[in-house]
Amino acid sequence: MKTVWIILLYLCVFGLSVYVYSTQLNGPAAELHQRLLPVEIKMVKAGMSEGELKQIVLNAEKTGDVLSIAGMQHSQGGQTVYPNGVMVDMKPYNQVIEVNEDEKTVTVQSGATWSDIQEAINPYGLSLKVSQSQNIFTVGGSLSVNAHGLDIRNGGLTDTVLSMRLLNAEGDILQLSPSENKELFYAVLGGYGLFGIILDVTLELTDDELYETQTASMPYRDYPAYFKRQVQDNPDAKMHLARISIAPESFMEEMYTITYKTAEDQTPFPDYQKLKTENLVAVPKFFLGLSRINDAGKDSFWNAQTAYTQQIDGNLVSRNNVMRSDSEFMEYDNSRKTEILQEYFVPVDQFEHYIPALKAVVEANPDFNLLNVTIRYVGKNEDAVLSYAKEDMFSLVLLINQGTDTESVQQTQDVVQEMIDVTLKHGGSYYLPYFGYPTKGQLQEAYPRTGEFFELKDRFDPDHRFMNLFYEEYRP
Amino acid sequence: MNYKRFIYYQGTVGMASSMIFPFYILLIRNVGDSYAQFGWAYGLFALTAALCYPLIGKYADRIGDKTLLGVYSWGMAILLLFFPLASEVWHVYILQVLMGMLGAVQKNSEKTVLARYVTKEIAGTQIGRYHVWTSVAAALAVIATGYLVDFLTIASIFYIASLVFAWSGLQLLKLENTAA
Repeated sequence: MKTVWIILLYLCVFGLSVYVYSTQLNGPAAELHQRLLPVEIKMVKAGMSEGELKQIVLNAEKTGDVLSIAGMQHSQGGQTVYPNGVMVDMKPYNQVIEVNEDEKTVTVQSGATWSDIQEAINPYGLSLKVSQSQNIFTVGGSLSVNAHGLDIRNGGLTDTVLSMRLLNAEGDILQLSPSENKELFYAVLGGYGLFGIILDVTLELTDDELYETQTASMPYRDYPAYFKRQVQDNPDAKMHLARISIAPESFMEEMYTITYKTAEDQTPFPDYQKLKTENLVAVPKFFLGLSRINDAGKDSFWNAQTAYTQQIDGNLVSRNNVMRSDSEFMEYDNSRKTEILQEYFVPVDQFEHYIPALKAVVEANPDFNLLNVTIRYVGKNEDAVLSYAKEDMFSLVLLINQGTDTESVQQTQDVVQEMIDVTLKHGGSYYLPYFGYPTKGQLQEAYPRTGEFFELKDRFDPDHRFMNLFYEEYRP
Repeated sequence: MNYKRFIYYQGTVGMASSMIFPFYILLIRNVGDSYAQFGWAYGLFALTAALCYPLIGKYADRIGDKTLLGVYSWGMAILLLFFPLASEVWHVYILQVLMGMLGAVQKNSEKTVLARYVTKEIAGTQIGRYHVWTSVAAALAVIATGYLVDFLTIASIFYIASLVFAWSGLQLLKLENTAA
C-alpha cells in the first residue's frame, strides 16, 4: 500500500514538473531570455560537406525543429540562439577555397575568420577591402550583421561581396549576387541569419601596402572639419579611427585621431609585410581595469591612450596589420558585472551638436559607467534592407560596464533608450547586434524599412525555420 | 539486505547519478556567470554534507541502512524533477544544499552497509569487487548519456535519471515488502 502511495506521489510531481517545464518553453520572449538550460547545439564538424549541412536543414524541416546560426557569437542581442532550437555552429566550416591572384578575389566558407583570410592572402600581397576592426569574427557573422571597419575608401562590407551561396529553408542552394537573386542578396547582408545559412562568399580584394600612421588631438568641435580636410579630401588617407575622452578631466571634449596614409616611400614595405602575431595585452588590460574602478582610473587610462597615440605617430605599418586589431584586452570576467557595447551612427554634419547632447545624457546618470568611445567613419550605403548608413556617418562605439542584477539592467536600459532618442533626434541610427534595450518604436525610426525586412522574412522563410531571439523580440 | 542486491542497487543509483553529473556541471556553469558562483555552488554542497554527517551517522544505526537508502533514492528522484526548472542562481544553490544532504545520506549508507558486510580479512578483495561493478555501471551510463544528449534535450536527461532513481527506490520497497 505504501508503495502505491509513493509511486502516485512521484508520478504527480513528475507530471507537474514536465508540465511547468513545457509551459516555460512556450512562454513569452521575456522569459525565454532567462532560461538557463542550454539549447541543443549541432556542431558543424570540420570538413563537413554542404550535403551534410543540407541534411541538417532537411531534418529540421522533418522534425519541425527551429534553427539558429552561430559564428563567434559576439552579437549581444540573441541573434545566434533560440530556446529549444538547434544551433548550427559554423565555426568549423572555415576553409579558404580559393585565392585568385589575378582577379584579386578570395572565396571562403562562411565559418572562416577574417584572420584566416588574412593569413591566406598575405603571401600574395593582397588585402581585404573592408573588414571589421577586430579580425576574430567569422565572415558569415560579419556579413549577417552588416559590419563596417576602419577603411574609408571602399564603402561598406556589402560592397566588397561579389557573390555568395545560400542554403535556404527548403534545403536548396542559391547563388546570390547584386545581379542574381538581388532581393535576397541584400536581405541576407545584414539579415541576422534569418534567411538561411551562408555557405561561401567571394570577396573583392585590394593590394596590401605600406601605411604611415598620423595622429592628432583636438577638441571635438574641430573634428568634423579636420576629418573632411585632412582625411576625406586627402586621397592618401585610407583608414581612420578616433577616440573621444571619457575621463572626467576632459569628458567628451578632447579627442585624438589616428589616420593611416599610404606611405610615400613603399620600398621598406617587405620589412613590414609579415603578419603581426603578438600584442601586448597586459598593458591595455591593466589600464582598462583601472578605468572600471573609478574616475582617477579613467583619467590615467585616457592619459595612457593619448601618450601611446602620440608615440605611434609616424610609425610604418602594413594595411593587413592595421586590420588585425586585437580585442583580447577587453575580455572581462566578473560575477556581478558585465560589459556591453552600443553603437550609434550620427551624420557627419550633426556631430558637433550631437556630442554635447550625448554628454548631457551620460552626465545626468552618474551611475552609468562608460569606459571607452571609439569613433569611425561610415560612408552612405543603403544596400542592405536594414541599413544604418542613411548618409555619411560617424559611428560611435560605446563600451559600458554594468551590473547584471535587474535594477542595474533597468538603469542601463533607461540610459540607452535616452541615448538612442538623442541619436535619432540628430538624424542618426543605432547598430542592431547589441543587447535588446531599444524599443520597437526606436527600431522603426532608425530603420524605416523594418516592415519590409519582416515581410521578406515571411516570404523567403514562411515556416520560420531560421529563428533567433532578436527576431522574437522585434517581430511585428 | 542481500549483498548482491546491494551491489545491484548501488550500480543503479551510480548509473543515475553519473548520468546527470557531467551535464549537471553544464547547468551550473550556465546559471552561474562566474567561477566564484561555481565555487559557491559546490562549496555549499560539501558544507551541507559536512553538517549532515553526524546526524545521519546516528540515525543509520537506529533506523537502518535500507530506510536511509530509500530516502536517498526517492529524494533524488523528486529533486531531479526540479532541475529542468532552475532558472536563477539561487535555485541552483538550494538544489545544491538538498543534493548535499542526500549525497551525505548515500555516502554514509554505502559505507555502513559495506562495513557491516565485509569480512575483515578479505575486506580489500570484497570492496575492490564492489567498486568494479559500480564503476562499470557508472561508466556505461556516462557514455550512453553522451549519445542520448545528441537526440534529446538536456532536460530529458534529468527526467530519465529521475526515473532510474525512482526505480531503484521501488526495488528497495519491494525488498521491504518481501522481508515483512
